Amino acid sequence: MNIIVTVKQVADPNIPPAHIQLDPDGKRIISPFGVPPVINGYDANALEEAIRLKEKHGGKITAVCLGDDSSRESLKYAVAMGADTAILINDPDLVNGDSATVGRALAAAIKKIGGCDLVLCGRQASDTDGGQVLHWIAEALDLPTVVPVTKIEAVEGQQLTVHRLIEDGYQRIKVELPALLGVSSEINEARHPSVRGTMAAGRAMIAGWKAADIGLAAQTPKVELRELQIQVRTTKAELIPGSTGAAQGAALADKLHELGLI
Amino acid sequence: MAGVLVFGDTVGGALAPASLEMAVAGAALAQALNEPLTGALIGDDLAAVAAEFNGGFATLHLIEGKHLRPYTARSAIAAAKAAIDAAAPSVVLFPHTLETREWVPRLAAMLDTGLVMDCTALNAEGSDLVVSKPVYGGGVTAQYVVRGNIRLVTVRTGVFEARAGAATGAVNKIAAVEPAAGRVTLIDEAKAAAASGVRLKDAKVIVSGGRGLGGPANWHYIEETAAAIGGAVGCSRPVADSGWVSSAHQVGLSGTSVKPDLYIAVGISGAVQHLAGISNSSTVVAINLDGDADMFTRANYGVVGDYKDVLPGFIERAKQLRG
Ligand SMILES: Cc1cc2nc3c(=O)[nH]c(=O)nc-3n(C[C@H](O)[C@H](O)[C@H](O)COP(=O)(O)OP(=O)(O)OC[C@H]3O[C@@H](n4cnc5c(N)ncnc54)[C@H](O)[C@@H]3O)c2cc1C
Ligand SMILES: Nc1ncnc2c1ncn2[C@@H]1O[C@H](COP(=O)(O)O)[C@@H](O)[C@H]1O
Repeated sequence: MNIIVTVKQVADPNIPPAHIQLDPDGKRIISPFGVPPVINGYDANALEEAIRLKEKHGGKITAVCLGDDSSRESLKYAVAMGADTAILINDPDLVNGDSATVGRALAAAIKKIGGCDLVLCGRQASDTDGGQVLHWIAEALDLPTVVPVTKIEAVEGQQLTVHRLIEDGYQRIKVELPALLGVSSEINEARHPSVRGTMAAGRAMIAGWKAADIGLAAQTPKVELRELQIQVRTTKAELIPGSTGAAQGAALADKLHELGLI
Repeated sequence: MAGVLVFGDTVGGALAPASLEMAVAGAALAQALNEPLTGALIGDDLAAVAAEFNGGFATLHLIEGKHLRPYTARSAIAAAKAAIDAAAPSVVLFPHTLETREWVPRLAAMLDTGLVMDCTALNAEGSDLVVSKPVYGGGVTAQYVVRGNIRLVTVRTGVFEARAGAATGAVNKIAAVEPAAGRVTLIDEAKAAAASGVRLKDAKVIVSGGRGLGGPANWHYIEETAAAIGGAVGCSRPVADSGWVSSAHQVGLSGTSVKPDLYIAVGISGAVQHLAGISNSSTVVAINLDGDADMFTRANYGVVGDYKDVLPGFIERAKQLRG
């Protein structure tokens, strides 16, 4: 099974808000010194799932990223985890594009690669919290999609059975290949790269494509970012005293009862 | 194209509370844009639900068909297109749910138009639509200008105050046409056994547990605390990812946004992605071993201590107080 995994490089989502800074035009966050960007968590889950499918069914995994040159690090990480090939689309005209632009660029790259049986994406990127790019890819390639996928239950010929999260459980869904799935974190725990993988990543050649290489014409944005604003949190909890944990617990109950909450 | 079209939502044959929140958000926007407000509902039996969806619509479009429940993206998209064709709006609002997160972006791509999801503020600047949404997990707010003939927005639930009572002008029933079989087929739905009867989203009291519980064997502490004060059970993402409880209980950015009067977070560190789901809670309590945990920056009351000591004392006293 030939699988393409889309991989976005993002600021580490564990940076506490108090340490987030904005660049002067207020459109990007600057990671604190010493906190490198990471591969989007759901994309790591998508790649993990691709590796498990390859281990069972054979095939090839290509990781594709649209980003600036620093994103090579995340693609190397993808190779270290187990991707066979990695491609970077690093055209400055595309890097700050909206979801439609990014999605269509990734779709054009997938076409240039020669298509695949399965595109695995994350359900959303942890920087934009957008949840859109995968659908623009799917529409451009006319692929059926399921999101958010929490399990691939079975692979039978050109058909997958997957679980899709619903509010009170899950749907079991059959989807015909080629297809695109938006992967959620319940699906697996992404592996850490092995030493062998890290060595392979060091030698990996990562192709760099521009808009012209994938035949992409300029587009007017449908969504324009105007500015970012950091949310400052000010509350400080009133601490409940007590000589023991049990006494604190009882005092908390008294407090909440007094407030009419329990 | 003119007008603001508001989609409501149904759960188990009733109007989802978020629907009237959408109506309030839509009414304000329609007024600012000086365009009419219309509503739409998609489902299989809408007569009773339609009567409850009284958000002051000039027209309420009802797209009905047996094939619309249970949900599939293909049928929802076809039905929504029928409503959009009928209403010809310039802006469409949807509640942000696990369903709309899947089908609305595909609709945007099909219509080749602008969409921003999970918005918490909507404004008109002249004829421009300017929206805000939390990004980076919730630590940052982004402001976007949305463009396109039909601008689409999903709105976070619990942000706008629901208000009912504004009468509907006309009702327009549209029989939904079942789309031809596609490449995605629903086999069946498996429902998780709910730990308590109350839906998390509508619960007034929630007791939520995190990784600090240490393992599934300790989960009964959360269940017992919730039972003692008549609350629903919530959890952080690692708890759902590790399968201690079903994802239906997950609170936060990628889980449910909740709006209780009381939210008690036990052994939850307070990552922005978790806090994103509780920003509309009235009173928040943190119980955590680590006095520096971020949860204390959102909590109104805090207990620094081991939950294994704190909760039994809490449960005992709460039972006495509640008689
Ligand atoms: C895109 C994205 C989406 C996400 N969506 C969500 C989401 O929807 N919901 C969500 O919750 N998370 C979400 N996360 C994950 C989030 O970033 C955090 O990793 C997660 O919330 C941490 O869960 P936790 O607080 O239970 O665990 P931890 O961060 O490990 O915290 C455990 C806490 O328990 C305390 N503790 C330990 N032992 C005890 C004890 N005996 N008594 C009392 N306290 C104790 C510790 O001091 C610590 O503060 C998301 C992340 C990303 C990147
Ligand atoms: N610049 C990018 N490069 C590669 N993949 C991306 C990019 N942006 C988004 N994606 C993919 O699309 C998913 C959803 O992204 P978003 O719409 O930004 O939330 C991500 O989890 C990625 O798999």
